[in-house]
Amino acid sequence: MLLLLVLLATFLVGCGAPATGDRIVYGLTLAPSGIDPHVNASSELGIPLTSVYDTLVYRDAATGEFVPGLAERWETSDDGLVYTFYLRRGVTFHDGAPFNAEAVRFNLERITSPDLASQKARFMLGPYERVEVVDETTVRIYLSEPFAPLLDSLSQVYLGMASPAAVEKWGTEYQLHQVGTGPFVLAEYVPGDHVLLQRNPAYAWGPSVYQHKRAQLAEVEFRFFTDPATRSPALETGEADVMGEIPPQDAVRLKESGNFRIEAVPIPGVSLMFFMNTARPPLDDVLVRQALLYGTDRQAIVSTIFRDTSPVAYGPLAAVTAGYEPQVQGYYGYDPAQAAALLEQAGWKDSDGDGVRDHDGAALVLDLYLMGWGSMPEVGQLLAAQWAELGIGVNSKVVSYPEALELAGKGEHHLIPFNLSGSDPDILRKFFHSQGGFNWSKASDAELDAWLETAARTSNWTERAALYSQVQLRVMDQALVIPIRDYVNLNGVNNRVQGLRFDAQGWFPWLVDVRHE
Amino acid sequence: MRYIGRRLVQAAFVLWLAATLAFVGLQLAPGDPAQTLLAASGATPEEIAERRAQLGLDDPFLAQYTRYLMDLARGDLGRSWLHGRPVSRMVLEQLPATVELAVAAMLVGVALGLGLGILGAVRRSTWLDTAVTAVAAVGLSTPTSWSGILAILLFSLHLGWLPATGEGGLGHLVLPALVLGFALSGSIARLVRARVVEVMGEPFVLAARARGLPSQRVLCVHVLRAALAPALTVIALQLGFLLGGAVVTESVFARRGLGKLAVEAIVWRDLPVVRGVVVCGAIAYVLANLAADLAQAWLDPRLREGLA
Repeated sequence: MLLLLVLLATFLVGCGAPATGDRIVYGLTLAPSGIDPHVNASSELGIPLTSVYDTLVYRDAATGEFVPGLAERWETSDDGLVYTFYLRRGVTFHDGAPFNAEAVRFNLERITSPDLASQKARFMLGPYERVEVVDETTVRIYLSEPFAPLLDSLSQVYLGMASPAAVEKWGTEYQLHQVGTGPFVLAEYVPGDHVLLQRNPAYAWGPSVYQHKRAQLAEVEFRFFTDPATRSPALETGEADVMGEIPPQDAVRLKESGNFRIEAVPIPGVSLMFFMNTARPPLDDVLVRQALLYGTDRQAIVSTIFRDTSPVAYGPLAAVTAGYEPQVQGYYGYDPAQAAALLEQAGWKDSDGDGVRDHDGAALVLDLYLMGWGSMPEVGQLLAAQWAELGIGVNSKVVSYPEALELAGKGEHHLIPFNLSGSDPDILRKFFHSQGGFNWSKASDAELDAWLETAARTSNWTERAALYSQVQLRVMDQALVIPIRDYVNLNGVNNRVQGLRFDAQGWFPWLVDVRHE
Repeated sequence: MRYIGRRLVQAAFVLWLAATLAFVGLQLAPGDPAQTLLAASGATPEEIAERRAQLGLDDPFLAQYTRYLMDLARGDLGRSWLHGRPVSRMVLEQLPATVELAVAAMLVGVALGLGLGILGAVRRSTWLDTAVTAVAAVGLSTPTSWSGILAILLFSLHLGWLPATGEGGLGHLVLPALVLGFALSGSIARLVRARVVEVMGEPFVLAARARGLPSQRVLCVHVLRAALAPALTVIALQLGFLLGGAVVTESVFARRGLGKLAVEAIVWRDLPVVRGVVVCGAIAYVLANLAADLAQAWLDPRLREGLA
């Protein structure tokens, strides 16, 4: 004990480096051990690296428009198969090498090389065929078929431009020594411990969405806070100045403290929703699916579990996603009487008086699978309680992500939740196209397939948006999903940190403008 | 020497067993690694099948196992499916932080456990003994995820004495080592108390007392030496507990370490990394047990002579 006290006393002094004027500590919520955006897929990696890499184009978070980045301008061929990018001159990588068309070619070929085994970037390029260097500052991308989401993909850090020299020099260790052209330089990465960014003094080619020409901070250190319960204490002890994904109950408390604010950023993409397996009885009956929707009090779930920090979801897309169809808000308001009536109509009555409806000798009991994150188990509990009042039984089980993929792929579930972020509505194709990887409703609707395929090939935004409206309304008409809430990232921010804004994905901060006062 | 040779053969067998169990167990776990890695990306089923083939997952089980064992024998742990980096590098990166925490927690746990255990035994059936038993029970049964948060709230947030999270200097090590060490001390205290009580009733202790030796000397020389030899093995066995507890502790105190690496690898079915961590854990375990056995042999002459 004495030894411990001595230890304690010795280190009382000199711990916890206070943040000075031009430095902040930014808390991340996952500790991915790989952060090469061309290879890895996590959202966390983009939080630091969006400021290390520049992209060919940028997406204005407010308007959704694309603005020039490393490409000054671009053209699309009439058939939508060839994109020509005219690159900015005078841009250099952090290692001093010039950025040019050759660098773009190198990057795209790296991303699409099977050896790299990319988990995200490769697939964001869709039907990419090849890249061609026209001259020093002109480069063309060829597609095998039109792909409307391409610019959105090219605006994200996963397709950021890395220094070819650095990639060749470091090989499989490149992710520890990443070199881009962005407003910050990756100074150090110790996996699992921290990422350190330092201002790039040479930066002078930022996009119009950046408010400052150069980074306002000299340094940003990123640290990993994987345990949700530790996030708000880390802010309060001053060990972090910004922290993502604060648990809702802590967010409510932090806001009241006066020294911190919560910047709630809605994330575009697919809302948290439960997929109803339309291939498995009794959910093959649309009446039963509609009854479940009418019998779900989403407002109660959002208030109880998410403390009203996120909006109720009414359709498959989060309300901030481009192409969102607001008409979905008119569907399936909470109406238990209507739910009961629909169940009766479908033949489900409690004939033996055990509290659970039955039909032809089968009880109305549904298999509900839940993943352990994102408050899904809690949501599942509330759903089971709400449905119990309607005479619907629930068997729920928490499974891991790989298990979920396997069992939902095979269709062993009645209901399973998911949400996924993404700023382009093409994300719907993964969920509602009959061949989609997350077609967990087992949708098999030729019209839905056609609309989704056509929309992905249509360059005219108005036409695209009209198709996505049809998709969203069809999904709700057919009652394929029970939307619960739009995902909102609750960022806890020390009031001395100013100028924090996020990109169109909602996840990635534009650190160039952040100040510490 | 025969004793040491036998222990070495046993150690090699344990390592092979651990490596094989890690392989077979993961192979049987539900979920397709290629699908897990790529599902959210929008890859087509064909692209996922290609990746599966690329990872060698389509090869027959025996071929995969043989390749894995051959690589392992050459000291090659393979490359991470998630990051493409050599597993040995990823493990070595995280190892120092885990060892640092494990050693510090072991020191805290042994110091606290020994102290409490001896105290309880010497003052047995008094209020002090009851208190020791209670503290040991709390240590044993408190999850570190909870005691860790409590420690952060008390020592960092309210008192401001110690940094809550991260690494850098001994100051950052104090809280996690205390939390993990306290959890460890419970089982050590119980064991030491029971052994000391038992030995104190043995004839040779009575004889020593009868010869009029001071009770301090009887306790320190005769009782402890006999009581601690078996305790050493149990303490070495706690290494498994430490590695497991480190997973939670690393997460609560935002430290890096093998635990975090393993959790990520399990979530993503990054099997080479999981196997790498398991094999390294097995090596540590075997080494610790070997050291404990040798130390025990040194403490207990009967073992050295091959009589026990």
